[in-house]
Amino acid sequence: MAQANSVSGQDLREMFVAATDWLEKSAPDIDALNVFPVPDGDTGTNMLLTMRSSMEEAYRASDYGASGIAQAMARGALIGARGNSGVILSQIWNGLAQGLAEKESVTGSDLVNALLRASTVAYKGLSNPVEGTILTVIREAASAAQAHAATVSDDVVSVMGATVDAAKESVANTPSLLPVLMEAGVVDAGGQGLYTILEGALHYLKGETEQLKLRRPWMIASSIPLTAKVPQMVGVEEVPYGYCTNFVIKGQELDPDKLRRRLEKRGESVIVIGDDSAIRVHIHTLDPGDVMHYVVPLGTLHQINIRNMDEQYRDFLEMQKERMPAVDIAIVAVVAGDGLHNVFSSLGATAIVPGGQTMNPSTKDLLQAVDSVASEKVIILPNNKNIVLTANQVQSLTTKKIEVVPAKTIPQGVAALLAFDYEADLETNAQNMNKAKSAVKSIEITRAIRSTRLGGLDIKKRQAIGFLDGDLVAVGDKTDAVLNEVLARINLDKAEVITIYPGADTKPAEAEQVGATIREEHPQLQVEVVQGGQPHYNYIVSVE
Amino acid sequence: MAVKVVTDSLGDIPSEVAEELGITIIPVTVLFGTESFRDGIDLTTDQFYHKLMHTKPLPTTAIPTLSVFVETYDKLAEETDEIAVITNSHKLSASYEATLQAIGLMKRKCRVEAVDSLWAVMAQGLIVIAAAKAAKTGASLDEVVDLTQKNIPRADVRMVFDTLDYLKEGGRIGKAQAFLGSKLRVTPILGIRDGEVFPFARERSRAKAMDYLYNFASGFSHIEEMAVEDATTLDEADKLVERLGSLFPKERIYRAKVSPVVGAHVGPHVLGAAVLGDRG
Repeated sequence: MAQANSVSGQDLREMFVAATDWLEKSAPDIDALNVFPVPDGDTGTNMLLTMRSSMEEAYRASDYGASGIAQAMARGALIGARGNSGVILSQIWNGLAQGLAEKESVTGSDLVNALLRASTVAYKGLSNPVEGTILTVIREAASAAQAHAATVSDDVVSVMGATVDAAKESVANTPSLLPVLMEAGVVDAGGQGLYTILEGALHYLKGETEQLKLRRPWMIASSIPLTAKVPQMVGVEEVPYGYCTNFVIKGQELDPDKLRRRLEKRGESVIVIGDDSAIRVHIHTLDPGDVMHYVVPLGTLHQINIRNMDEQYRDFLEMQKERMPAVDIAIVAVVAGDGLHNVFSSLGATAIVPGGQTMNPSTKDLLQAVDSVASEKVIILPNNKNIVLTANQVQSLTTKKIEVVPAKTIPQGVAALLAFDYEADLETNAQNMNKAKSAVKSIEITRAIRSTRLGGLDIKKRQAIGFLDGDLVAVGDKTDAVLNEVLARINLDKAEVITIYPGADTKPAEAEQVGATIREEHPQLQVEVVQGGQPHYNYIVSVE
Repeated sequence: MAVKVVTDSLGDIPSEVAEELGITIIPVTVLFGTESFRDGIDLTTDQFYHKLMHTKPLPTTAIPTLSVFVETYDKLAEETDEIAVITNSHKLSASYEATLQAIGLMKRKCRVEAVDSLWAVMAQGLIVIAAAKAAKTGASLDEVVDLTQKNIPRADVRMVFDTLDYLKEGGRIGKAQAFLGSKLRVTPILGIRDGEVFPFARERSRAKAMDYLYNFASGFSHIEEMAVEDATTLDEADKLVERLGSLFPKERIYRAKVSPVVGAHVGPHVLGAAVLGDRG
């Protein structure tokens, strides 16, 4: 059914049947993504079961027009919704049905209106809508569809294509909106589920039945890397999650709004949707008995489903481990400055202990970081010569297996971290990292805190001084001039990469200028300026 | 009758090598929007990379329809009664699954064995080449399948990437997502482990990455086959072959181009080395 101008009711139904089959293929993968708002069971499975109920009802519809099918789907979803995402999905279908009211078939602009309506209704169903979830995905997808129809084409397949593209981008972006996703390094499961449904629908619209049969939906990778915060989640948040409780109340003169207000006092993630004859409830509570006790007098209860979320959370952590390279080695790094903190995290450091030249962390600080990571094997990168000995003490205080890679500067620490090998064991990694750290030259530029004479140089208080691999080799009034003087002592013809980390007190423009000058004089070099934000040191520079 | 060896274009086997060894390659489809191209047939590699660098949105890939598989096998069955199909990793595409289904749909009677190589690119290619060489010297289907199974753990590959964006976009990033988001400019080196993309190393420069590829190859105590493949950087590949010449006869190193279907997922500047052999 490629390139039609509109989609008939029956096609609408078949399209979502195809989408449901498509979702089924990746439901287990979506289950594994689960983390929000607390690990709420199996998002993929829940959405799939919700879709199935939707489609069963769609087949029972007596009205074959688009409006009739959409209304049947919304009804089926309401009755069959499971879990948080299933309930929100049912609201999306509800909105879609409202948007398609009285339509025999669906054109591109009908689709736009229906998606916009779906987004609005989905937001309204929640007492506390959270961004970075399926809500954001439906909203951004709907507005992309609107923009596409207005500026590019209002062909229904074309609009659907734009909707799917936007949904994909939106899903990839969910971790930057929701810290809990970022920490876990996953995208939002409900968002992924919605994207998969829309993608399946698009395949159907394009007539790609073979693809639907043979291919599998791809899981969207987070646009933010999985930093090593995952292990830290273990054992840190000991708050019990309680029970994910779902049921339907059927009765007369029910009041969803009133019920929602009452239930909000009894738990979290409360979703209450429905009308005066049937209401679906989703709530996370420490005492499901209390909730049941409250609702029993209101009507008859159906589809009661109570699950222990702490159990689910443990399963989730297990699943998480399988997604990453099987590393059982954590890396603890000592770093000062926001920029450097980000650099080390982005390269895979598991835990960061703030510290450096003037704030040497204690053995206890390091021990705490070592204890906080889930791994039994830990590599410590002190990144400062005054911290190496402290780091060496940690082994005597813990049963974990510790290797200290004695990086004495930030550039050495970065070089060591980059050499980490996901396949190698602790000892081999320590050896390789040790070797890698020696292959880099470190330059540090700071200001003298008192006048002195050192290494044959007369130094006045507040003058800029430059160190090369820990030795004081240059002094002057201006930091950039001193940096150039130190660089002149290195044979840059043999170097390949220079990385400049300007400190917190260094003006970005000055740092860029320093980088530009080096690039000009040594065009064969790869010169990179990366905000370090470290205190006291105007520049830290690595030469490789 | 000699065993016929079939594979798919994810193995990056150069067409002249395929021709010489009698390997049948099923082309995987590359889609730019709604335009579809059969890998190596409708679109040359150079045309593809030009398009890849200059058009948006990025291409996607799809295995051919089942009928293409079935017709290929049926046609070969006119010449032989034994066919070995060696596919790319089932974790990277549906080729293996499609092969199994297609075998059941064949019209002609012929024994067909399918093997999931758990590899792609030239690691898959070298395994297929070894199978085809054995078939050429008269090995039976069972012997070819047995050899292939034994070769699977003996193959390995590393690829130097310019960017991981294509891989991420195409959804095949696998465990290499550990390398995403680096705040420093790094040159990632990936490979395949247990059938999926795996992060092996990060170097600060392309030159260091070349050293890595050399060291990777030198880690083998015995090299049976070797391949170097590039997408658009022929000179760089030449230099790598020169260096690897100290480990293995230069003239026996297969020179391959990263096929469009792989290129769609890895981007235009990858360079890789694959080895079939034994370590330590």
